[in-house]
Amino acid sequence: MPAQSIPADQFLAAIRDAGVQDIVLVPDTHQRTLLDLLMADPEIRTVHCSTEDEAVAISAGLIIGGRRPLMQIQHAGLYASVNNLRGVALDGHFPIVLLIGLLGRDPELAPRDDGGSMVRLCEPLLDTLGIPSYLLDSADDLHYVSTAFDEAAARQGPVALLVGAPTA
Amino acid sequence: MTDNEQLDQRMSLEAALDVLARRRDQQVVVGTMTANGPWRERSPHELNLACIGFMGGASALGLGVALSQPERDVWVIDGDGSLMMQLGSLGTIAGAAPANFVHIVIHNGVYETSGAQPVPSEANVDFAAMAAGAGYRQTAIFGDAEEFDSALDELLAADGPTLIELRTRPGGNFFTARPTPVGSTPALARMWPPVAEALSRS
Repeated sequence: MPAQSIPADQFLAAIRDAGVQDIVLVPDTHQRTLLDLLMADPEIRTVHCSTEDEAVAISAGLIIGGRRPLMQIQHAGLYASVNNLRGVALDGHFPIVLLIGLLGRDPELAPRDDGGSMVRLCEPLLDTLGIPSYLLDSADDLHYVSTAFDEAAARQGPVALLVGAPTA
Repeated sequence: MTDNEQLDQRMSLEAALDVLARRRDQQVVVGTMTANGPWRERSPHELNLACIGFMGGASALGLGVALSQPERDVWVIDGDGSLMMQLGSLGTIAGAAPANFVHIVIHNGVYETSGAQPVPSEANVDFAAMAAGAGYRQTAIFGDAEEFDSALDELLAADGPTLIELRTRPGGNFFTARPTPVGSTPALARMWPPVAEALSRS
């Protein structure tokens, strides 16, 4: 089945249910409607970053201080953040959950088969880094949000959620 | 005065850290690169963190801690080469505007750990001006330890984010990496849980 838009309000509810306190972000066109809701939410703080590398380290600092962040980026930012994913999230054993928008993905294809390298290389890169990932292709997949936090805590390391279609 | 003579007039890293260590109380301190060792010697503390293996990330790690612990001061002891790798962090920090954040930049003009190669635009770069331009609440530059010592209490008493640029002379702290034993736990993974535990108690 092709990837379907995920209603932003349902996405927000899943993020709230997971106990997220901070969204550490570099904007993603793909998740724009979700981001609008997050920025308006009085219970969730947004931290706007210049780079995704920074977002990893800020998320780690928030965890040290007892907070529960969610890092929200785009696939291009995944590639830009590799050194800190390695040196901070993986080497530091930080349970950071990443929400990664697959901007421009062909919804008829699996991400690994996509025509664009930005989408196609995401899962192989995460595999190489040893970071588990879950693909969110519809509202039915939103249960993976809490799964990702549980898994990150259990393995003391990062877990990725790939947003497979634009949020509605 | 020649350029070398001017450089010799700058304070040493150790003298700069002595000034800071005399004010150390219950701040979280994130150190980086060549400042880490001398800082730990001067101020051993359960709230010391170090940026090891992710050069350029000290200020971002410190920002996260500062945002999570708004009642506690966070000092980041950054390097000039490190900050140049993540200059955008000045905007990120200024945007988040944590009042409890003090960004100390050791500006010695070189990548000291790799053999003292010059930092780009060393002769011109002004980190305090860049921080002010990004929106830090206060900035200052010192090249003399006594002047730094005289001004520091007032700077620490005011709301941040604050950037203090310390112009120091290179110290020749060349770093030689040793192989990592297979299966060992990385330093960062050992370092932060006790800090988190200490913060959760207070």
